[in-house]
Amino acid sequence: MAQIEIRDVSVDYKRPNSEETFTAVDGINLSIEKGSFVTIVGSSGCGKSTLLLALAGLIPYAKGAITVDGKTVTAPGPDRAMVFQDASLLPWRSVHGNVRFGLELRRWRRDDLDQRVTRFVHMVGLGSFADYHPHQLSGGMRQRVNIARALAVDPDVLLMDEPFGALDAQTREVMGDELLRIWERDKKTAIFVTHAIDEAIFLGDRVVVMGKNPGHIREIVEIDLPRPRTSAMLDSPAFIAYRQKLRDYIAADMASLQMVKDVA
Amino acid sequence: MALAARTAARSAWPSLAPFLERHYTTGVSILSVLVFLVLWETAADQRWMNPRLTGQPTLIWQAALEVFRNDRFFYHAWISFAEFGIGFVLALIVGVPLGLIMGTHKTTRLFLEPPLMALYTAPRLALLPILIVWLGIGIASKIAVVFLGAVFPILVNTLAGVRNADNRLVQAARAFGATQLDIFVKILVPGSLPAILMGVRLGIGRGVLSVIVGEMFVSQAGIGYQIMSYGQGMQINKMLVYALSISLFSYGLILSVQWLESRIRDWKPVS
Ligand SMILES: Nc1ncnc2c1ncn2[C@@H]1O[C@H](COP(=O)(O)OP(=O)(O)OP(=O)(O)O)[C@@H](O)[C@H]1O
Ligand SMILES: [Mg+2]
Repeated sequence: MAQIEIRDVSVDYKRPNSEETFTAVDGINLSIEKGSFVTIVGSSGCGKSTLLLALAGLIPYAKGAITVDGKTVTAPGPDRAMVFQDASLLPWRSVHGNVRFGLELRRWRRDDLDQRVTRFVHMVGLGSFADYHPHQLSGGMRQRVNIARALAVDPDVLLMDEPFGALDAQTREVMGDELLRIWERDKKTAIFVTHAIDEAIFLGDRVVVMGKNPGHIREIVEIDLPRPRTSAMLDSPAFIAYRQKLRDYIAADMASLQMVKDVA
Repeated sequence: MALAARTAARSAWPSLAPFLERHYTTGVSILSVLVFLVLWETAADQRWMNPRLTGQPTLIWQAALEVFRNDRFFYHAWISFAEFGIGFVLALIVGVPLGLIMGTHKTTRLFLEPPLMALYTAPRLALLPILIVWLGIGIASKIAVVFLGAVFPILVNTLAGVRNADNRLVQAARAFGATQLDIFVKILVPGSLPAILMGVRLGIGRGVLSVIVGEMFVSQAGIGYQIMSYGQGMQINKMLVYALSISLFSYGLILSVQWLESRIRDWKPVS
């Protein structure tokens, strides 16, 4: 059995101002081996964040089962850490304090707590911003604090919801390389949501393509590129072929958006 | 020589300009007070209005010197301050924790909200006669009325602060395995600090008002008592000395709370 097993999972949300529910994602089946890197792409609103939150144990699922290392997921656990899509830093804590926050909650008792915080703050390139508060940082810097906070608690499974969404292309590449380095060194399992197809291919062992209405897994593409991945690969025929394939899958799902455009 | 004067002027200005710039707000405020005082003084001098009814700044100054020397001013101020201080601290001790608990615990909130809201909307000073029957005309009834005046703004704002807590922060904390206590201590309390301080600021105003009105209503000592007796004796200038001392006191308190608020505004999210 794989480290993470998602069996026929669906998640329901309450509709606003009513008791009715609707199904955000349905019939999700996915096995993720320990130490593998899975990326998820799909159009906006297809339930990528929802799936990640269910994996994190932050929202209940209506049907099916999720297990991590054989244990059923019902609540957050120390084996998983999450990088959230939107701002989730404490505005009253500095960069250092925010990274420390995760370790405090995990009851990190070792003496190296503050050293560890400093190390991870440096790792995401914010060494000279340790005393800044979130509102004094750019969007991309905030997102890097988010990443440092999740990495610092040393989880087995790293759940990342568009962690590079607010970064420019260059920083994105640097952070991506850094993430791959840590992932390879510490043998973590990574689940990574992104909108950027190239990024999904570059980082992933597998790319999961999700579709809408309700959210489901449309396709899973194995990425058979050697590691370590290098930017030279971006122009290789294999990479271009993957890119084309994924574009086609997503385009099919975009048809619904196209209709909106016709109306306008 | 003309040239020398001009250079002197030019070199004087650059050193003055930053000074003016830095103290611009204070300067305008002081100017406003001065203009007001001069107008008041002149109006009374010229008998545009009757100084027996309106007082006059120079006479108030003389009255102040006399009040401070031999009117037992500090005794009365101490009484009022004690009434206010005890009542206000009690309001803090009750209001903040109760607001935090009601904000986090739904059943407690639902249970306590109706009676508290009834008390909140009732004109508290109208309860003064009953409080006096219960607690006498001494210091206790005034403490009670200060407490009642200050506790509600503090409680209501604390409650609102907790309930407006950013849900995303709570979720992030839960993702890292936070317990209910962690969420309370590390998210809800610091997150509602700005709202609590706003409640404290409002509470100061209410509390000061309560203590003065309470003393004017019935008492044997205190600033409000002195204001009442001098008012009835038509000693406007002395009455104004007491009234002004109250204004200065609450202004000072509110300034210090505002200072605290500006300290924590550093970490308020830009929204
Ligand atoms: N808390 C919630 N309550 C009700 N509905 C929700 C909630 N969160 C998300 N949804 C709905 O679930 C669906 C999937 O949302 P989700 O956030 O998972 O999409 P996503 O794939 O992450 O989109 P994006 O790429 O824009 O982040 C959407 O239709 C959304 O309206
Ligand atoms: Mg999302």
